[in-house]
Amino acid sequence: MSNVAGKAQALNVWTPTRRKGIENRIIFWVLPRFFKKKLRGLQTLSLIHYARWVIIAPKDFPNLGEGQPTEELRHHYECFLSNFNGNWDQYIDSFSMSLGTGLDMLWFKNVGFPNSVPIEPFHAYINANSIPTDHYYSAYPLAASNDVKAAQRVRDSLVTLAGSASGMSPKQFRQAYDDTIRKHQDDISRLDESVIVSLATEAVQNQARQEAF
Amino acid sequence: MTTFEIRSGVDLHDVQGNIIKGYGRYGFPVARYVTYRINAAVAGRTFIKLLVPMLTTSVPWSESGVVEEGTKQPPSTTNVALTYEGLRRLGVPERSLLSFPDEFVMGMRARASILGDVGASAPKNWDPVWQTEDGQQPVHLLVTINAESSDALAQRYEEVGLAARAANDVAGDSAGVQQLAGHRSAGGADAAFQDGAALRDEHGTPGPKEHFGYTDGISDPYYKDSGSRSSNVIGGGKRLRDSSPATDAGWAPLATGELLLGHTDEALEYPAAPVPSTLSKNGTYLVYRKLHQNVATFDRYAASEAAKLSMEENLFRAKLVGRWPNGAPLASFPTEAEANAFNAKLEQAKADRFDETATPTQRAAATERHLELKEQQSGFDYREDIAGESCPVGAHSRRANPRGSLEFGQDHAFSTPGALVNRRRIARRGLPYGDSSDRSVDNGDHGIIFMAIGASINRQFEFVQQQWMNFGNDFRLGNDQDALLASWPDEDIDPLRARMTFEVDPDGMEVPKICTGIPQFVETRGGDYFFVPSLTALSAIARGAVDPT
Repeated sequence: MSNVAGKAQALNVWTPTRRKGIENRIIFWVLPRFFKKKLRGLQTLSLIHYARWVIIAPKDFPNLGEGQPTEELRHHYECFLSNFNGNWDQYIDSFSMSLGTGLDMLWFKNVGFPNSVPIEPFHAYINANSIPTDHYYSAYPLAASNDVKAAQRVRDSLVTLAGSASGMSPKQFRQAYDDTIRKHQDDISRLDESVIVSLATEAVQNQARQEAF
Repeated sequence: MTTFEIRSGVDLHDVQGNIIKGYGRYGFPVARYVTYRINAAVAGRTFIKLLVPMLTTSVPWSESGVVEEGTKQPPSTTNVALTYEGLRRLGVPERSLLSFPDEFVMGMRARASILGDVGASAPKNWDPVWQTEDGQQPVHLLVTINAESSDALAQRYEEVGLAARAANDVAGDSAGVQQLAGHRSAGGADAAFQDGAALRDEHGTPGPKEHFGYTDGISDPYYKDSGSRSSNVIGGGKRLRDSSPATDAGWAPLATGELLLGHTDEALEYPAAPVPSTLSKNGTYLVYRKLHQNVATFDRYAASEAAKLSMEENLFRAKLVGRWPNGAPLASFPTEAEANAFNAKLEQAKADRFDETATPTQRAAATERHLELKEQQSGFDYREDIAGESCPVGAHSRRANPRGSLEFGQDHAFSTPGALVNRRRIARRGLPYGDSSDRSVDNGDHGIIFMAIGASINRQFEFVQQQWMNFGNDFRLGNDQDALLASWPDEDIDPLRARMTFEVDPDGMEVPKICTGIPQFVETRGGDYFFVPSLTALSAIARGAVDPT
């Protein structure tokens, strides 16, 4: 039971909306079309892999049958899913300070939402409404989303370089190689295990390693 | 009776002086850090009671020019700080103790893996004074003394020692408070205290250099109501949008609560603080860290790697740090000629400012000139240098304070350019220690006593150390670490792991230079997390009167 895999942290937050989340759905539609600027922070914040906000109606909650009791849900729920690098407690300030007004719009009128600033009530709200991750897997435990994006850029360039290299003179190749290095000067940083962001996570991982032997 | 005006929303009489005053290297070139163990609560409380009247507060001195009449700058200053174990042994109630944040309760040793204190920096290699047999924090109380001269230092140290003995007499326990020796020094590993001193130039004048040869401590955060000169907001405050970083319109003071508990912070709330509020208000946290510097390794690497990369060695040194050794920032002065010309002007203005043969008018004019030039040392950001062609993205000073560059050129990405920076600022105090005139060996006694002050150790110091020094993701630099501070878990450093890129203009024709095989330059030698209570709180602790009910 850990919300951490490799360099990624999972966050699942379920919060009840008002009026069937109609206003939220409008905001979700309008925001990326007409208020792109408000979301730029989300794209720039280099720790976020992705973030998604969805409204789920009571009838759309899954029921597996087999005797699972039916819930009596009074609200449409807003479901927030995110994967990001780093640790939630540590980066709460970054989310809140850099995306503040955007977050306030996305959680607009959700029951009990305290706004993203001040941070302590926001932090408590997210923690209280988040669902711990039962199973969380990372295919590239050494890579943060920045690293994956960088690797894709490097790969594309290398493929291009390799494809055109055979017809080049040594001098031309040198030039093309240097151009590639320059273009990717910050895409070729070291890839390694995450720094230890939480002593609890470190303990869980050490335990898992011991059990593997 | 003298009267003076405090133009401040903070009761500076209540705030210990080391929090707000830098105790500058010119006025107070020498310091002594004295560590104590508290074996008997009565002795500890009496010691604090006797120390309180000796403590230096944050009230500005008349010389500083902020107030016309005020307290005179003393020949020495005295401040006191307590670890969690210290507070516990002094009898602070459990409920108050449990209200302190985790990292403070655990102490620095237990946070080693968070801080990257591994390999040579691992706690087992720290000075004896920081070693523990029972798992408890060994140091309970820290007295810091800064002084204008060695004599003043010795005198104040003597007085503090007398207070400790008097406290033990009262308690009837000769080891009630016990001064802890075990600081490594030139004379061995058992010094009774840790000394620090500004390094002196060839004329014997104390200066701002540290042992690697850089001018240090140029840019310090500027907080609202801190009583310091308002022009320090330039480069010291939080970066505003749409105004030049060279002017004071480009910056605003950081909220007081980033520095002091009991005041609103950048998140518009009171920082989480221990109860009762009288215990925490006007107090803060201090990180004490003794960092040994491998000067021979540093000199050798700078020379050989600069040659390997076909660079001037001074430029190489500047690229590692983001400032030329003389302090001029690479972002504003990309060539050595510009940096030297600027520094010559700065030195001249400083000399004129303190020239006793000049008329008061001349000196006033020189003072203005000097301060304006000093603003240029910190009045800049990286908006014109997002790619890092002047100052590398991973340069030490850019990592420590990205100055609003984490929008990566995406203007208006965040509500304010400093969104990711403003809550990570730390006030740096402390001084170099030891002598590194023999540059041929690493194992002499030389390094820096790094002290970081702020309202949250975890959010500020630990974050910067972990995410910005020991990691690179926030800068889109993968796992690349700070070249200066990186620690490595084993002796054999994979040369490709310890690397740093000196970026070039992405649209130009140059090829970026990548240094590899960076050895470990700095080793942690000890330290801990301390609480720096207000004078009110210290008095309450001394009387055993802390009641969170």
